[in-house]
Amino acid sequence: MLSIANLAVSVDGKSILKGVDLEVNAGEVHAVMGPNGSGKSTLANVLAGRDNYTVTAGSVTYQERNLLEMAPELRAREGVFLAFQYPVEIPGVTNLYLLKASINAIRRHRGAEELNAVAFLKLIREKAALVEMDEAFLYRAINQGFSGGEKKRNEILQMALLRPTLSILDETDSGLDIDALKIVAKGVNTLRGADCAMLVVTHYQRLLDYIVPDFVHVLQDGRIVRSGDKSLALELERKGYGWVGAQAGAA
Amino acid sequence: MNPATEHYLRQCQALADLLPGRRVDWLQARRRDALARFAHIGFPTRRDEDWRYTSVAPITGGSFRGAGNAPRPDFEGEDGGELQPLDLAQIDGLKSHRLVFIDGQFAAHLSHPIAANAGVTIEPLGRVLDERPELVEQAFGSVTPRNEHGFTALNNAGSQDGVAVILAPGAATELPVEMLFVSRAAGRFNQPRNLIIADEGSRAGLIERHISAVETAPATGRAGERGAGTFTNSATEIVLGDKAEVDYHLVQTQSAAAYHICGVWVRQARGSRFRCRTVTLGGALVRNDLGVELAGEQAHCDLLGLYSVAGTQHVDTHTTVTHAAENCSSRELYKGVLAQRGRAVFHGRIVVRPSAQKTEAAQTNNNLLLSPAAEIDSKPQLEIYADDVKCSHGATVGQLDENALFYLRSRGLDQARARALLTSAFVNDVIGEIEIGDFTLRDALENMLAERLPSNQ
Repeated sequence: MLSIANLAVSVDGKSILKGVDLEVNAGEVHAVMGPNGSGKSTLANVLAGRDNYTVTAGSVTYQERNLLEMAPELRAREGVFLAFQYPVEIPGVTNLYLLKASINAIRRHRGAEELNAVAFLKLIREKAALVEMDEAFLYRAINQGFSGGEKKRNEILQMALLRPTLSILDETDSGLDIDALKIVAKGVNTLRGADCAMLVVTHYQRLLDYIVPDFVHVLQDGRIVRSGDKSLALELERKGYGWVGAQAGAA
Repeated sequence: MNPATEHYLRQCQALADLLPGRRVDWLQARRRDALARFAHIGFPTRRDEDWRYTSVAPITGGSFRGAGNAPRPDFEGEDGGELQPLDLAQIDGLKSHRLVFIDGQFAAHLSHPIAANAGVTIEPLGRVLDERPELVEQAFGSVTPRNEHGFTALNNAGSQDGVAVILAPGAATELPVEMLFVSRAAGRFNQPRNLIIADEGSRAGLIERHISAVETAPATGRAGERGAGTFTNSATEIVLGDKAEVDYHLVQTQSAAAYHICGVWVRQARGSRFRCRTVTLGGALVRNDLGVELAGEQAHCDLLGLYSVAGTQHVDTHTTVTHAAENCSSRELYKGVLAQRGRAVFHGRIVVRPSAQKTEAAQTNNNLLLSPAAEIDSKPQLEIYADDVKCSHGATVGQLDENALFYLRSRGLDQARARALLTSAFVNDVIGEIEIGDFTLRDALENMLAERLPSNQ
């Protein structure tokens, strides 16, 4: 589904990713771990199409297409979803408005009819219940005045509504207490399926207790230095990132 | 005398016999004085501080003509299609006392002044001047500033028809009064005039609208030439008695070939409340002068405005709030959206007289620049002569938030939609507050905005 080959990316002339290779197949959950500054968020943002990142080498193929050539909205419509590390507050636009505009943009793209108000409300209430979000949040301005946990739940609500093919979760656990973490993880887990894949970017192993990955990759200084199964995450938790760095250096 | 002054002076003289109230001595005397003053001061130029950022050369250099030099507009026009834009001008769901004026002339058959309550007079001002001039003798011309500029003098000298709303103590308009001014004939120069007298404890809801009946091409050649625009020089006076409450809305959605100099002059007595909402989306050149005098204690005014310019539109907003009595408060919030080569000016003047202790005045002007070629000149001007006052002002100029744009696009909204959404979100707090009694203009304005708000550069 997603094939990243030798991807190199710089920001403001500074090289951040230095040749990343990653294969993600349908049905798989991949965790990308790494210390601060290793390039995890850069990877997530480049996949979603954020500006100001310059791809200097390599390629990203998504469903047989060159993902890097696609506008962010086209990626979204084709099933790529980024759950933001820092969801943006947008005063003056209600959550509900965005959710409806979003699902209908995606439905139109897929040749489906737009949802009418009744069908949409029924659907969104069901999804809000999934992430235990009070309906009142739907009528508030996007993320405005939301707590950290509420913002992250809002991201998962959007994800649940849009049912992406490739979900990228950027530090979704940051700023969450354990209860919120469980709710978020429950929401994410119900979206796992044979047709879709997930890339879970995280600093800590903690999230992976709840969203159990099939593969774990360690990103360090812009490269994937080690890959393994979920036990790698536990080992990292015990030994720290320095351990991988030393291993990679020795190798 | 310069040729522009002479041209408009001649227009005024030629039209004099067509004006309402020409057998009313006091009115004719005031008109003569105003005309003499106009002949003396002429039109403002960019050398005048209040006109520094706005050139009126397209108006003064043009050759707009008054209705006296053209056949009276045939409202019933055989080509029935011509009046269609008026149907489009209906605001969905709005029930109003509607008075329509086409090129300065009252169009009775298009108007629906619904039978008003006791103590409520809603009529064409011209009819009042002809038939019962004593009703307005005191108020007419009493609120326009004494040191007015040439355009106001010109209106004083030769105003045509408009709306008179006269409320007895305690009376209420119930339904809002919709004053709809339609510019139709290209090259035409119109001078509407409204007078609102809200006596003690009365309540009024008002909507003054300016539209174009025909989309004429934007003026490329000399303004005033046939097919090159319309010129409206309007004045509205509002007098609030003790504890009167007036909600006044000014909505300008003319074509990009319309020139509009618009004066709104307000005087408030003790304990009165005045709310003004101005929405300016149309016009090639629009100058809005809003002057509010808080003349009695504990009066309050709340002034909200939205202007949106694109193409080569130019909108100039000048507000003057004069605190002349103790314990009054004023709030101003004006927001601007500027796209392409659009230009806007916001000049907010607050005067606190020595007698006006315990004044509270707040002024905010926020602007969103969508294009590097757009320009805003924002100028707060506070003149405070009392020592126990709270006055604040703030002006901002910003661009769309790139993070917010990316967030929306990452949810599938295309760039144009995302920009439009953020732009309307920017003005949301202004249009969200636009309502008259139970009726909100929000939906209508959102539709107008959706059509007009430039989302791209």
